[in-house]
Amino acid sequence: MPFSFIDIEEKKTRLLGCLFFFVIFFYFLTAYLVLLILRNAFGPRDGFFWPSGMSVLAAFGIALFVALLHWATSTSHLIEKLSLSIGAMELDAKDFYHKGLQNIIDEVGVAVGGRRITGMVIPSVSLNAFALEDFQGRAVIGVTEGLLTRLNRSQLEAVVGHEAGHIVSGDCVTTTVTCALAELYDELFSRLKAGMQRSRGRGSVLILALFLIIFFMRFLSTLLRYFISRQKEYRADAVSVRLTRNPLSLAEALSLISTNWRGGGASGERLESIFIVNPNFSRLDEKQGVFSDVFSTHPPIAERIRILTDMAHVDTKTLEEHLKNDTWVSPVARAEFTQADGGPSAWRVFADQEWKGPFGLEELQASGLLTPETWVKPEGSEKVAHAYEDETLLSVLSPQAAEKKTKEEFACPHCRTALGELYYEGVPLQKCSHCEGVFAPSHKISRILIRRDKTFDPEIVRMAEATIRERDRRVDGFYKQKPVNAWVLDCPQCGRKMRRQFFVYSYPVEIDRCVYCEGIWFDRQELEILQYIYENKEHFFDDSSF
Amino acid sequence: MVVILIVLLALVVLLLGWFFFAYNSLVRLKIRVDNAWSQIDVQLKRRHDLIPNLVESVKGYMAYEKDTLERVIKARTQAIDASGIKDKAQAENFLSQTLRSLFAVVERYPDLKANQNVLSLQEELTSTENKISFARQYYNDEVGRYNTLIEVVPTNIVAGAAGFAKRDFFEIEDKAQREAPKVQL
Repeated sequence: MPFSFIDIEEKKTRLLGCLFFFVIFFYFLTAYLVLLILRNAFGPRDGFFWPSGMSVLAAFGIALFVALLHWATSTSHLIEKLSLSIGAMELDAKDFYHKGLQNIIDEVGVAVGGRRITGMVIPSVSLNAFALEDFQGRAVIGVTEGLLTRLNRSQLEAVVGHEAGHIVSGDCVTTTVTCALAELYDELFSRLKAGMQRSRGRGSVLILALFLIIFFMRFLSTLLRYFISRQKEYRADAVSVRLTRNPLSLAEALSLISTNWRGGGASGERLESIFIVNPNFSRLDEKQGVFSDVFSTHPPIAERIRILTDMAHVDTKTLEEHLKNDTWVSPVARAEFTQADGGPSAWRVFADQEWKGPFGLEELQASGLLTPETWVKPEGSEKVAHAYEDETLLSVLSPQAAEKKTKEEFACPHCRTALGELYYEGVPLQKCSHCEGVFAPSHKISRILIRRDKTFDPEIVRMAEATIRERDRRVDGFYKQKPVNAWVLDCPQCGRKMRRQFFVYSYPVEIDRCVYCEGIWFDRQELEILQYIYENKEHFFDDSSF
Repeated sequence: MVVILIVLLALVVLLLGWFFFAYNSLVRLKIRVDNAWSQIDVQLKRRHDLIPNLVESVKGYMAYEKDTLERVIKARTQAIDASGIKDKAQAENFLSQTLRSLFAVVERYPDLKANQNVLSLQEELTSTENKISFARQYYNDEVGRYNTLIEVVPTNIVAGAAGFAKRDFFEIEDKAQREAPKVQL
């Protein structure tokens, strides 16, 4: 019975026990070896000595202590630590895509019999997914932004089902703990390496000794990986199919992930076993046989896809054809640039003894009819009120009042009015309703650039092409200017000056970036131009190394 | 004589042990079935709560589709009032159908399709629909396991003696859903 939780719990404890004893054993072996070397190097010179019983006992004591220490430090705050080292972030509750992901995770949680699983996301273009679980049963499923964008709902569901399979079949805890144990040394190793390079000479003997020990211990982390069986991926695939009853979607997802960048090099160095597909390409993974069964962390993707397509009675070629023709656009595409809250967008104004309008916000300002005491009623409603009672109008009427009100919220750096919320490709941003500038906190930029819902006006296309054509001239001209005008606007988020600069040299769109909070202010259309250039980089640049 | 007595005693102990074991596993499964059912209930309730919101936010746009909306509202009331697994399943399936036709209508209104509020409600409802079908899948799996244990040969004696009754599946009466999915080749 695959869902007998008691069996799983028992198996889990047994495996973790094994792991713990392995760690103790390893430390003991190391201590014994060191003892042996010390005794024969510094002891009497005649012949070879085995350590005495007492010293072996001491070595065992030390090993036990170190093992316990290691175990305790790496298993506290397991999930926080590991998610930090792979750069995963919590979901943005307002983001359209993120909400969808959490919904899918909740659905799968229901499918396994009611379990709360937290969602996370890695802000990266790569395609991959991971699962983590700690001793208390807190579980996390995370995907990359790239995956969230490229996969359709049923493919995403299949991937989440796979990760949930790791969690319910109990191998997730073992993997997580193993990774955490290995991670500790990797971190120490890289920190020491950096420290050594900085303080050359001073105390180098001590550092060298430490370095040697840690280098030795790093060997342990390599060994630890063999605790993780590659079979677990097949099992998780099977659970996913059993939950979603949809082998084809999982095959499609795996095929998409394996043919794109999976995030190799970007995420934690030795954490590949928590991912659905190994982020680093490994020749060993793609091989069959006893040797690779023991030493690799993931089974061959071709084999996984073959099993799944067999289940769906489809051959691999049709799958590839199908994927090629599949141009799926999420429903979010329709909702772009709509105001998030349903406030009125047009008003009728009482002037010269009659109701005039309806006017849009801009028209109203230009008309000269608007004073705080003017009677207005929102279009489509009969509620008459003074203009100052209407929140949107108030922000136009008295910028100072609006500025005060939105000190912690956001105010447009040009117009000083409160910024309204706007959904751009499912990402909540702040937009000024006057100048149509957009403010985006730094961590949201990558999300926007990755997603491809938006279709562009011919005007944007023309401007983007002009931007690229004039790039070289502009780069020269821009940097010959005195840096006097380079600090113009105040950051809507923290109020400090923003620096005017190009987004990056290869995407020469002028933006204002706050050097403190790294938020970016885009004037009208700048965000769309930037995104157009980013999405069509193959067209604009000869090599796609940007 | 003593040997026979010991063997008999051992047999009795074994039989008793098996009886307890079988009884306990029946109880365990029954509790799981109940738990699975409450899962479905939670999701159904959530759907009932979401529907008035959806109706409210699309009402303004859909002047000519009054009867579609009314059918949804009626189906919802029926589903809330239904009791018993069979009735409930039927009413909920009807509600799913009416919702599907409502979404089909929404597709025809460009204003509605671009409305953030409607979109997110639609996403919530889709998610809840999925949760309902997953919860039903889990429930049916558990019921299948429970019913099997009640009917297979040695345990059916225990089940009959202790009065374990078979449970109903949460079935789909909807023809469209029952049809085999078309495979595109």
